Amino acid sequence: MDTSQYLEIFLDETKEHLQNLNTQILDLEQDPENMDTINEIFRAAHSLKGMAGTMGFKRLQALTHDMENVFSEVRNGTIKVQPEMIDILFQCLDALEEYVGNIQQTSDEGTNDNEDIIKALNVIMNGEAKAEAPKADAPKAEVKAESAEGAKWSEITITDTEQNLIKKAYEEEFKVYGITVYVEESCVLKAARAFLVFKALEKHGEIIASNPTTQDIEDEKFELTFSMIFVSKSTRDEIIAAVKSVSEIHAALCDEYQPAAADEAEEAEVKEESKPEAPVSGAAKAVPAAQPKQDKKAVSKPIVNRTVRVDIEKLDVLMNLVSELIIAKNSLVAATGNASEGSENNSAVNEQIEYLESVTTNLHESVMKVRMVPIESIVNKFPRMIRDLSKSLGKKMELYMSGEDTELDRTVVDEIGDPLMHMLRNSADHGLEPNDVRVKNGKPEVGSIFLDAYQDGNNVVIEVRDDGGGINTEAVKNKAIERGTLTQEQADAMSEKEIIDLLFLPSFSTAKKVTDVSGRGVGLDVVKSKIESLSGEVEVKTKLGEGTTFIVRLPLTLAIIQALMVVIGDEKYAIALNSIQTIEAVMPEDIKLVQNKEVIHLRGTVIPIVRLNQILEIESKVAETDEMTVIIVKKGDQQAGLVVDELMGQQEIVIKSLGKFIKVPKIISGATILGDGEVALIIDANTLI
Amino acid sequence: MDELKVMDDQSRLESLNQPKEYDTTQYIVIQLGEEQYGIDIKYIYNIVRMQKITRVPKVAGYIKGVINLRGEVIPIISLRMKMDLDADEITKKTRIIILKLDQHDSVGVLVDEVKEVVTLDEEHIEKITYDKDEKAKILSGVGKTDGRLISLLDIHAVLAENEV
Repeated sequence: MDTSQYLEIFLDETKEHLQNLNTQILDLEQDPENMDTINEIFRAAHSLKGMAGTMGFKRLQALTHDMENVFSEVRNGTIKVQPEMIDILFQCLDALEEYVGNIQQTSDEGTNDNEDIIKALNVIMNGEAKAEAPKADAPKAEVKAESAEGAKWSEITITDTEQNLIKKAYEEEFKVYGITVYVEESCVLKAARAFLVFKALEKHGEIIASNPTTQDIEDEKFELTFSMIFVSKSTRDEIIAAVKSVSEIHAALCDEYQPAAADEAEEAEVKEESKPEAPVSGAAKAVPAAQPKQDKKAVSKPIVNRTVRVDIEKLDVLMNLVSELIIAKNSLVAATGNASEGSENNSAVNEQIEYLESVTTNLHESVMKVRMVPIESIVNKFPRMIRDLSKSLGKKMELYMSGEDTELDRTVVDEIGDPLMHMLRNSADHGLEPNDVRVKNGKPEVGSIFLDAYQDGNNVVIEVRDDGGGINTEAVKNKAIERGTLTQEQADAMSEKEIIDLLFLPSFSTAKKVTDVSGRGVGLDVVKSKIESLSGEVEVKTKLGEGTTFIVRLPLTLAIIQALMVVIGDEKYAIALNSIQTIEAVMPEDIKLVQNKEVIHLRGTVIPIVRLNQILEIESKVAETDEMTVIIVKKGDQQAGLVVDELMGQQEIVIKSLGKFIKVPKIISGATILGDGEVALIIDANTLI
Repeated sequence: MDELKVMDDQSRLESLNQPKEYDTTQYIVIQLGEEQYGIDIKYIYNIVRMQKITRVPKVAGYIKGVINLRGEVIPIISLRMKMDLDADEITKKTRIIILKLDQHDSVGVLVDEVKEVVTLDEEHIEKITYDKDEKAKILSGVGKTDGRLISLLDIHAVLAENEV
């Protein structure tokens, strides 16, 4: 699996964990008995290990694994924290930081196994914390840096035309040199020096290519070195002399340009083309650290960090402020609406208010967008997981995903990963039958698991589906009776749905054997409570022999929505605009009765009518014989017509919770504050369909 | 609030003699029908005048609806209906007491009138022993001050019943 797209996130998070570890270990040094700190370190080491494993960084994983082991022992109380141990832990962190540094510059963790640190950790684990602190390997790194010198020109990217020029030069018995020039650190006008170097060289031959580009060199967009490929009939010494004739040049390296190196440079170029956003000058900077002699393939893939990680709480504050602003804006709109219309300034005020309105709307959208992320970042870990599961369970299976670009609020996305992972593991382990059973039952040998995400009105739906054996409700029943959760009579009286709901009880597992994948019964109840804590819901559909579908429905936690304000009796309500399809004027005589329910015919479809005044227990002010205002709402492919007294217009509303204190009927999804300070309730049209 | 009575001299002397401050509790006295009740001041977040209450359909009768308190939507319950008294009569003296309990969000209760603040020490609070009266369930005791009797509301019990 190509993990490069997560590299940035991985680096961000790893650095955060390392920082956290550093602080915590410092704390631990002060207070070696503090269980909270120890637990925190254990968790951070564990997360690091997991992330390193996912990204395939074996050495990083091995080192964190040993570190985690040590803390596992500390946590169990088998070993005590001692000063020597803290020293080794810090060396361990340094080594980890080195790996991360390497990864950032070259996308590879490097080849240092840090065996001495691992050994020291193991010694601690075995209770002999006497081990001498291993030497840190800083000197090695320096050696690497030096060995990088001189090879710089080989990193110059060569285009086809340049390649042809080089060939032609060889044919005409020119020599092709690679030159790397080091400018003195004190040099002020680097570009000018470079220009003089070019001038000097031009007497001897021709520059074919350079790194950075000549344009960048002229603009002084380079550090202390620049390299070029040079065609000339002069000797190497003559060229070096020419370069050194320019003052403030620290050194010049020159050698014959090897066609082999050219090939490699081409390779590098190909890689860079696949990452077009990587600036060439960045490549030049990253290369010296790339250990060119040890690991030629790890050629430059610099990571340009353009993201800012912001605490979600800060975004919450921002969001609340935007909400306040919108309420204030609505009040302003209401106030000017009431102001005397004859006022001269009125049109000017209205203009400004309209402007304010568009600004607040845009502001809100931007803040929302900042918080929304595609679920991609979560679900893209799953194919790898399924592959691993397939191996460890010895079942053949395939994961099909759709709708990875569906967006959800960041907080929800962060939380939804674990439950989804659990459901997938569940499908893989319990859902899918062993391959031979599948073949016997006339199914394709390879099991299929589907993960589909899509937006449905105000909800995002994520479905985890398998084509396995389905839930055997009898087995669930028997298990429940066996465990004493149910009596036989209770079980007999239960509907299929109720039995399936048993699966969501704590510590309930029907798997006959416990595997390390699932079966310990800590699964589905956690999934359910997690999803409910996100105010979502989970539903199971199953058919014995054909498979099981878990349907997770999450609200698009949009704190501010566009709504249609309506009046029923003397009360005001809001209906989310995105669930509204059309608004129709209907005469009472057009309403027909079908199975004793009121419906209307609208452009060929029959739509049931819901009289909101009856549901909300309000006396309508519209006479029975008058024309009715019907709002057609949709949920999926179903429709309903909501009858209201009057329309007030569209408004941006801030959703407020009614609190946990009142058991709010399902039809009310929240409340909002109107411009005049009054509270209006929000009708969830989905519950009426 | 009309007036705040300071604690009488007798109890002031007593509180001087007894440095343990936790022995005294301040209550806000409210009028509800003919009777006066006390609410522990530590649960009271705010007292506001009557304002427009938005009805919430399909909820228990004693829930009057919700109000907007500085951008927060707060449910309002009627103490009168809660205690099986006659329906509320909104007058100029009607107040909404906003309560804040640890485990709940804020809740407002509608009362006929807010009278005063009294300070009672434990000696003047009698626990209720009889349990025949339904009302007694939501009382934590009876306080004596100035020769008056004030029923002290157990706010937790008053609000907890809602969840049934």
